[in-house]
Amino acid sequence: MSTEAIAVEKPKRNYNVLFGLTLLALLVLLWILLSVTTTSFASANNIANLLRQGSMIAIMAVGQTFVIITGGIDLSVGAVVGFATVVVAMMINAGFPIWLAILVTLLVGVAIGMFHGFGIVKMGLPPFIITLATLTSLRGIGLLMTNGNSININSDTFTAFSRNSFIGIPNLFWMVILVGIPAYIFLHHSRWGRYLFSVGSNAEASRLSGVNVQRTIYMAYTLSGLCAAFVGVLLAARIGIGNPTQAEGWELQAIASSVIGGTSLFGAVGSVHGPLLGAFILATINNGANLLNVNSFWQRIITGALIIIIVYFDGLRRRGK
Amino acid sequence: MISTAQELHPAPVLEQGRTILELRGLEKRYPGTHALKPVDLAFKSGEIHAIVGENGAGKSTLIKLLTGVMPRTSGEIVWEGQPAALATPHEAMALGINAVHQEVVLCRHLTVAANMFLGEENSRFGILQQRAMVRQAQTIIDDLGFDLPAHVTLGDLTIGQQQLIAAARATVRGTKFLIFDEPTAYLTRKEADQLFTLIRRLKGEGVTIIYISHRMEEVFELADRVSVLRDGTLVGTRNIAETNDAELVKMMINRSIEQVYHKEHFTPGAAIIEARNLSGKGFENVSMTVRAGEIVGLYGLIGAGRSEFVTTLYGRHRKSAGQILWEGKEVQVNSEHDAIKLGMALAPESRRDQGLCLNLPVGFNLNLPIYKRISNNLLISSTQEKTQADRQIADLRIKTPTRGALASSLSGGNQQKIVIGKWLAHGAKLFIFDEPTVGVDVGTKAEIYRLFGALLSKGAGIILISSYLPEVYELADTLHVFRRGKLVATHGFHAASHEDILTQALAEKQEKLGGQI
Ligand SMILES: Nc1ncnc2c1ncn2[C@@H]1O[C@H](COP(=O)(O)OP(=O)(O)OP(=O)(O)O)[C@@H](O)[C@H]1O
Ligand SMILES: [Mg+2]
Repeated sequence: MSTEAIAVEKPKRNYNVLFGLTLLALLVLLWILLSVTTTSFASANNIANLLRQGSMIAIMAVGQTFVIITGGIDLSVGAVVGFATVVVAMMINAGFPIWLAILVTLLVGVAIGMFHGFGIVKMGLPPFIITLATLTSLRGIGLLMTNGNSININSDTFTAFSRNSFIGIPNLFWMVILVGIPAYIFLHHSRWGRYLFSVGSNAEASRLSGVNVQRTIYMAYTLSGLCAAFVGVLLAARIGIGNPTQAEGWELQAIASSVIGGTSLFGAVGSVHGPLLGAFILATINNGANLLNVNSFWQRIITGALIIIIVYFDGLRRRGK
Repeated sequence: MISTAQELHPAPVLEQGRTILELRGLEKRYPGTHALKPVDLAFKSGEIHAIVGENGAGKSTLIKLLTGVMPRTSGEIVWEGQPAALATPHEAMALGINAVHQEVVLCRHLTVAANMFLGEENSRFGILQQRAMVRQAQTIIDDLGFDLPAHVTLGDLTIGQQQLIAAARATVRGTKFLIFDEPTAYLTRKEADQLFTLIRRLKGEGVTIIYISHRMEEVFELADRVSVLRDGTLVGTRNIAETNDAELVKMMINRSIEQVYHKEHFTPGAAIIEARNLSGKGFENVSMTVRAGEIVGLYGLIGAGRSEFVTTLYGRHRKSAGQILWEGKEVQVNSEHDAIKLGMALAPESRRDQGLCLNLPVGFNLNLPIYKRISNNLLISSTQEKTQADRQIADLRIKTPTRGALASSLSGGNQQKIVIGKWLAHGAKLFIFDEPTVGVDVGTKAEIYRLFGALLSKGAGIILISSYLPEVYELADTLHVFRRGKLVATHGFHAASHEDILTQALAEKQEKLGGQI
C-alpha cells in the first residue's frame, strides 16, 4: 500500500477545541452586545449575579455530560438539588458542624447516583425511566420531610459564603473552577474518561476490550448525583433556605447547556468546557432578556430556538467533516 | 491496453453484451482521502464483473456512487446511453440498480419479511398486509433455495444468513444491475454455494453483476471479467480466461507475494488453557487444550457453537458444566475482565457490533484495551497513546489519514485490522481470533499471519476460528471440527483432507436437508 493517502491534507483534528472557541466567541459577542445596548449589564453587580446563576447550572451540566456521554440521561438532577437544600438545611439547623452537613449532603447525592446505577445495571431499567422516577419521588420525600414548608437556615457563616467574593470573583464561580478542572482532567486525560466515551459508543465492544461497563455506568451517575448535591449546597447557601421544590426544571437547563456545549445525546461525544460555556450562554440570555425587559415567556422560546440552531449547525459540521 | 486485449480475444458471451453502464471520469474525494481517482469503465449487460483491490482501494466507494448512497465529486455515470444523476438510492433502484452492501444495512429489529419489502410495503388502504408479506417473502426465499424462515426477527439470524436475506431483497426489486460487495465474507461454503447458484441464475436472466471479493478463487469461479483498483485508480481490466492469480495480486499491490500462509512450526510448550467437558449455551461437552506456541483452529458452519465456546472461555457467557484450567490450575472466569487479567485477548467476530467503537477515533479504538497500561494512576501518557496507536497503524498498514480519524470512515478491511490490532500491544498469553481476516486483502492477510507467528514465538497460544477452510487448514497445528455444538473431530496439521473436514462439519445438516427434500 502506498503512503500517498497518508500524506494528503490532515483533517482538522481539534474539532473539540474549534467548537469550544466558537462557543466562547458567541458568549463574548453576547456580552459585548448587551454591554452596548443596556446600561446595567456591565455593572459589577450584574456580572456577579450572572456568574452566580450560571455557575450552578454549569456544575450540574458537567455531571449531566458524563452521563450523556455514556448514552444515558439524568432527569433527576433538579430534584436532587432541591432535596440537597433540605438535607443541608436540616442538618445545619440541628446543630451539626457545617462541614459535616455538607459532607453528608454530598454523600446523599452519591447514594442517589449509585441507586441510578443499580437500577440501570442490575435491574435493567432505561436511564430515562429510573431517573424520572427519582425526580418525582425525591420531591415527594423532601416535602414529607419538611411538611411542605421552607426551612430557614440559621447559620450566617453558611449563607455568607455564596454572597462573598474572592479576589473580586464570586465564590460560586470559583466553585465552577473547583469542579471544572478535575472534571476536565478526569474526562480528557484519565482512562476512566476514555471508558465513558467507549461505553457510550459501543458497550459490547468495550466489555470485550476489558472495560468494566457496569462500573463505568455507576461512576457516571454517581458523579452526576454528586455534582447535583453540591449545587444543592450552593443553592441553599445562596437563598438561605432548604426547600424541596427549589430548582424546578433545572435538569432541563443542565441538559440544554450540555447539548449547546456540543454533547451528543446519542453518546460518545462531549467535553467539559462545552457544557460550561453552554451554561453561561444560557445564563447570559436569561439575564440579558431581563435587562432588556423581554417578556420572560419569550426567554423560554429563545432558549428553545437557540438549542435547535446550535445543535443543527454542530450536526451539519460533524457530518460535513 | 484493455480494449486491445478484448478485440484480439473476444469472449463469445460478452460479444452480445452491449454496454449497460459506463463510468466516465468518475471521482470521489472524502475530506483527507482521495478515494477514487477518475475512473473510466464500462459494464456489459449479462456479465459478471469482478472488482478486486486492496483494503481501502476504493471498491466500496465505487459501489456507493453507483447506488446513490454517496454523491460523486465529479465525472459521469451513463446508464443505457443516458447520463444518470444517481443522487439517491431511490433513483438507483428505479433504474434497476441494486446492491448488497459490505455491511448489512437492514433493520435488525424487524422481521425478515419486513426487511425484504422495506420501502415497498404491501398495504391495502394504508394497512400493512403483514401475513401476505410473510407468505410472499417465504416463497421468494424458498425459490432461491435458502433454508431460512421469513417470520423471524432479522437480528436473530447469523451475519451470514442476514447477508443472504440482503441478497434476496436485492433480487426481488426488478433488478437489472446487481452489486455484491464481499458477500461471502461471513458465509460458510454451503451458504456461499447457494449464493453462487443465485448469481449464476441472475446472470442467465440477463442481469449484470458486479462482484467484489478478496478471495481469488471465487473471482475465478464466477467472473467473466475482472477489474483491479489500486489506491483509487483503475489499473486494468482482464478477461478471466486470460489472467491468473499471480497477475491479479501483482496488479493489486504492485508487488508479488510468494506465500500467503506463512507458517513456522514451533514445538508446543506447556498448556496455557484447557477446557474439560465444558458446556454452555450453544455447545456441549467440549474438551481441548491450547499450548504455548500452538495455533488451535476451530472449523465448522456458522452457528456450530465455536463463537459461543470461545466467548464462554472469555467469561462473556456462563458455563453450565465443566472446568476451565489456566496454566494447569482451575479458574473461574466470571467476566471478560477476569479473562483479560488472566492473559486472554479476544478479537470478536462482528466488528460493528462487538469489535469497534465506530464513532470514536482509530487511535482510541486501538488503545482501548491498554489504557490501563499506558496511564499511571491518574493520567494517560499522551506520548504513549500516540506511539502505540501509530505503531499498530504502521505494522498493520491501516489506511487512515490520521489516528484521529473516526473508525467509521475507514474501509471495511481496515476496520477489521483495528479489531486485530488493538490486542497486539496487549501482551496476552492466549489470543482468540474469531474470523480475523474477514474482508482483509491478501497482502494484509499475509501480514496478519506473520504477526501470528511473532505472537507464537513469544510463547503465546492462539485459538483461530474461521469459516474459511483454507485458512484454518494451512495455519492450525491442531484443527477441531465443530458440528451443532459438539466437537466432532480433531486433526493434526494437514492430517485430514479438505473433503473429510467438510463432511465432518456438514454431515448432520445434510442428512437433515436430505430428509426435508
Ligand atoms: N465516509 C468516509 N469518510 C472519509 N473517508 C472514507 C469514508 N468512506 C471511505 N473512506 C476512505 O476511502 C478509501 C476507500 O474506501 P473504500 O471503502 O472504498 O475501500 P474498499 O476498497 O471497499 O476497501 P475494503 O476492501 O477494505 O472494503 C479509504 O481510504 C477509506 O478510509
Ligand atoms: Mg469495501
